[in-house]
Amino acid sequence: MDTVVDIQVVTGSETSSLSESVVSKIDRAFNAFRHVEQACSRFSSDSELMKACTQIAIPVGISPFLFEPLKLALDMAEWTKGVFDPTIGKMMEMHGFNRHYLTQRRMNSFVAETVNYQDIVLDEFNHTLMLRRPLVIDLGAVAKGFAIDLAAQELQGFDGFVVNAGGDIYAGGLNERGEPWEIGIQHPEHKGEVICSLTLSNEAACTSGSYERRSAITDDIHHLIDPVTGHSPKEWVSSTVIAPYAMMADVFSSAVMLLGMEDGRKLIHLADVRAILITSDLQLIREGGVWK
Amino acid sequence: MAKMDKKWVVLCSTAVAAVYATGYFITETEAVIQPSLQQNQVNTLTNQMSTGSNSETSRTAVTANEVKSTDKVQQTSVYRDGVYEGIGSNRRGSIQVTVTIQKDKITDVEISQFAMHYSEQDVVNMPDEVMNKQSAQVNNVSGATYSTEAFSSAVQDALDQARNT
Repeated sequence: MDTVVDIQVVTGSETSSLSESVVSKIDRAFNAFRHVEQACSRFSSDSELMKACTQIAIPVGISPFLFEPLKLALDMAEWTKGVFDPTIGKMMEMHGFNRHYLTQRRMNSFVAETVNYQDIVLDEFNHTLMLRRPLVIDLGAVAKGFAIDLAAQELQGFDGFVVNAGGDIYAGGLNERGEPWEIGIQHPEHKGEVICSLTLSNEAACTSGSYERRSAITDDIHHLIDPVTGHSPKEWVSSTVIAPYAMMADVFSSAVMLLGMEDGRKLIHLADVRAILITSDLQLIREGGVWK
Repeated sequence: MAKMDKKWVVLCSTAVAAVYATGYFITETEAVIQPSLQQNQVNTLTNQMSTGSNSETSRTAVTANEVKSTDKVQQTSVYRDGVYEGIGSNRRGSIQVTVTIQKDKITDVEISQFAMHYSEQDVVNMPDEVMNKQSAQVNNVSGATYSTEAFSSAVQDALDQARNT
């Protein structure tokens, strides 16, 4: 993942020496990211995802590292009637989002003319994936969140911990002062500045913003694209969702961006999550749940 | 439409449980790379890892073992072994990296020179400061993917020099 992963833990001990168990737990948490990347990356042809997608009309057995995030993405695709769609991969490639962050190698995949999420068939009993037609799956909105949740699972024993993967965050327990963790929300226009902050404990906050990851090729296109119109949404410049799981916060923040004003808000209320939404004129809107 | 809050929470908890049920984590025996550890506070440990690209604003070096090669399938070597310097820049300045290549693997990437110009406003709150902050005040910012553009073009520059033509 093209992202800096930062893990903090509160050990509760006064000593400065790190016990082996602390180190190994943190190692395992970092390994969650490696596992998920090896499973879900669409930027390398030897990921489990890209290998599985070379088979058309044949069910391929896949690991839970790929199956689970894919399942969540398909559920969201169904719920949004395809406004959120993981088969957007080829469109992303065409707008220049196709370069591996280490090798710099660009992907250029062959796909069928028009595809959508209904061309992906998951078999829950046999844990297989079958593509009806050639397509490229993009799990950008779920894979990172899933890795964060797995990492958080490894860190459950600590009094407090934070997993921060490029701004997608899970905060567990309490900080070293025994308080909930304070999390800032990135200002959409001033890099390095925080527009507001909130406190979290045992919750995730993920932000999708139109200000990050813009297309190098096409004007007005960023990493979220409506598959029907082929355009990037503009109603929200940023959407932060707070949820019990990072994968949930991740997929919801992307879906809310894509759904826009009315349907985005509806989704937040139906799912009973909290969200901080920012309009293009920098108005902050707090939606859902209870805000202190 | 009925509330569906439980549905999504259940989906996510099932997803995490599924990984454990199949024993992936428990039976993990592969020689795993140890990320370097650094201690920031008496009782708070910050362990910085980058899965490859580093931020142009954070000066933390990406250490060797944190960078995976994806070139395993290569039959002939794409790159010559050695240490290469690359420079990348954007409108805010330039960044220089040292990339070490061994057997077609990037084994080390270090930021050797950092000359980025930021407007005053940006400098005040540079992510660098945030990450090195010794307290747990707003040092986690949601929605801030550290920009990697200049860094990755610097790495590309180094790789181009290493390419076996």
